[in-house]
Amino acid sequence: MRKKVFVLVLVGFVLFFAGCAQQPEEKPTTTTPAATPTGPKEETLYFGAPISLSGKFAKEGQMSLWGMQVAAQWINENGGIKVGNKVYKVEIKYYDDESKKESVQSLIERLATVDKVKFILAPYSSGLTMAAAPIAEKYGVLMNSHGGASDYIFEQGYYYVVQTLSPASKYQTGFLDMVKTLDPDAKRLALVYEDKEFSRAVHQAAKEYAEKLGFEIVYEKTYPAGTTDLSPILNELKAANPDVLIGGGHFADGQLLAQQLAELNINIKAISILVAPSLPAFYEALGTKAEGISAPAQWETGVKYSPEVAEKLGVEWYGPTQEEFIKMFKDLAGEDAEPSYHVAEAAAAVLSYAKAIEKAQSTDVDRVREAMNDLEFMCVYGMWSIDPETGKQVGHDMVIIQWQNEEKKIVWPESAANAKPCYPMPTWDEKAEGKTCGS
Amino acid sequence: MFKFKSLIIPFAIYIILIAIGLSQPGLWQPIMYIMFYIGIGVALNNFMGLTGYVDFGYVAFLAMGAYGMGVALGYFTYLGIWAIPLGFVLALIFAALLCTAVGGVALRLRGAYFAIATIGVNEGLRYLIEGAKIWGGSEGIILSGKLRKTFGPEFANYLSTFVADAALIIIIFIASVITVYMINSRVGYALLAVREDEDAAKVMGINVTKYKLIAFFTSATIGAMIGASAWTLKLTYVFPEDVFFIHYTVEAIVIVMLGGAGTLLGPVVGGLIYGALKYYLSVILPGFQLLVFAPLLLVIVVAFPEGVVGFVKKKLQERGIIEYIT
Repeated sequence: MRKKVFVLVLVGFVLFFAGCAQQPEEKPTTTTPAATPTGPKEETLYFGAPISLSGKFAKEGQMSLWGMQVAAQWINENGGIKVGNKVYKVEIKYYDDESKKESVQSLIERLATVDKVKFILAPYSSGLTMAAAPIAEKYGVLMNSHGGASDYIFEQGYYYVVQTLSPASKYQTGFLDMVKTLDPDAKRLALVYEDKEFSRAVHQAAKEYAEKLGFEIVYEKTYPAGTTDLSPILNELKAANPDVLIGGGHFADGQLLAQQLAELNINIKAISILVAPSLPAFYEALGTKAEGISAPAQWETGVKYSPEVAEKLGVEWYGPTQEEFIKMFKDLAGEDAEPSYHVAEAAAAVLSYAKAIEKAQSTDVDRVREAMNDLEFMCVYGMWSIDPETGKQVGHDMVIIQWQNEEKKIVWPESAANAKPCYPMPTWDEKAEGKTCGS
Repeated sequence: MFKFKSLIIPFAIYIILIAIGLSQPGLWQPIMYIMFYIGIGVALNNFMGLTGYVDFGYVAFLAMGAYGMGVALGYFTYLGIWAIPLGFVLALIFAALLCTAVGGVALRLRGAYFAIATIGVNEGLRYLIEGAKIWGGSEGIILSGKLRKTFGPEFANYLSTFVADAALIIIIFIASVITVYMINSRVGYALLAVREDEDAAKVMGINVTKYKLIAFFTSATIGAMIGASAWTLKLTYVFPEDVFFIHYTVEAIVIVMLGGAGTLLGPVVGGLIYGALKYYLSVILPGFQLLVFAPLLLVIVVAFPEGVVGFVKKKLQERGIIEYIT
């Protein structure tokens, strides 16, 4: 009896796992009946993705998934990926990683071995991308980061990890370029930012860049996460009399920064704050005080990137135009949904794979990675080109948004802008009287 | 005199899991995912299951282990391969220090007060590390680049895809032996008395704080070893937000309760059910798995209030096989 139970339990286990292991997920390669026997052969190419559909990155994860699906749909409707006499249709194979590092590792292995996927779209956030990298490297699959902005991912020597979004080090540099172009005399720069890994990385890099541009750092201070009062810091800041201010970290502290600058009546010619101003809630909370405040963004609805701009710059355009992109997104996500930058960056990652595979004329990982080295194209998300050695994104520019007359306008770079920058921004007193940018 | 017979079933489960992981393509990481859950279950069970105290700050010990290994590999990289044993030693030392500090004070509290005090320790420690910029502060310790430079990319990969997993497996085997030893020794009997009625145990002349500390210490050090191997060595980075994430404590508690607190087999079965369900649900129903997972957990907990193993034990009380289940 004892033995029987034991054996039964064992058999049960083995059956359970054997059954689970052999889910025939791979669809047989399909040949369209319409294709003539001599025409191109059609096959399905899977791009794999561990996506955070639950957990702390659930919102960003869902947006990224929609972005990937929009890009895949566009590729399939526009002739697929042509390699030799084959045409590949793209399909996204995704699992939910619950925003957890342990799950990411299991799922990357599953994608690489069970699903035999060779091109992976990295999980959301830098931490999860780091967790995935050793496993991806072990199985020799390519990983394209659309949600891991930190520079350190690309400083570890992973050859098979490439980046589509702009790295942290570039977040505030565009704004500095803009100020320098508008007013070469505004030299006094102050930095006030949150003491968190990401905002530190952003502002350390910005500081180095500012020194190169000839800015003079007159004040620099960090504040801990969860601060509810910045007035001691801002009083010191006032004494330093800066022309330009960059800083922030998350939404709450970014809003607090703007709010208290107004309360203490500290007038600065140009302000760029991470995260907060890019959300509509910022204007709702501050009203006219938000006028003229800028923020860096990976992408924003209304950017001017288009086939015409690409032609002017002499680069190739690939992917849907912005109208097509937004329409396809709304068909998928619902009429009320607004695409966030996560959608655009995930779509760009899929498009870059397609473009690189076409360029390499192969689905071999090494050849595709090599083809990526000198790949350059523009899509709805902007430019795409990487540093060959590290895989870091160098082509894409952050766009700078600015609140003008109750609207979020894109003011930089010129190839993306839909409005002129408002510089210097109105003083707090002027704003209190109802003056807005452009009024 | 110890009932080492009861180790047969858990060891058989581990060996079968490992065999499946090695033989089936694509199942090694999922098996290690399950093993991680079994590991934190077994580790926490040594304290929570035996004493009946619920430690909501348990993840802090895993974090200490993760930092021990992180500090060794990050700051003593020049020791080469010796940095890894040093990492385990540091993990033990850090966990022991925290254990003394927390145990000496908090273990004198009971019930909800103990639980609250431990949450405080977990959060406080995290803010201390971030605020005082200890070990990289909020930027954490990132190791992959260093490891790849010191050991070469292939060996670095081998470290995080094989050595880390092997270490975790060994730790789990040892932890199970320790649990059996604890349950069947004087310590186990004393703890049983504490769990049933702490005041009565005190009156009987049992030094309750001492035995609780022993259980706390054992559990903490096993946790630290798991943190050192399954987190730092495997993931090649330590971020304070990640390692002090209270979610892991909750998961460990669920696993212990699911399988049966205070039993050897309990956390093993609990971890297996929890890990396997979670993995396959996230593969089959990406995005909706929690909708299925939560009711399933509820059903199991309602059907087996003493845990799956507790239930089986009760059913099999008269049978001979009971000697194999502890």
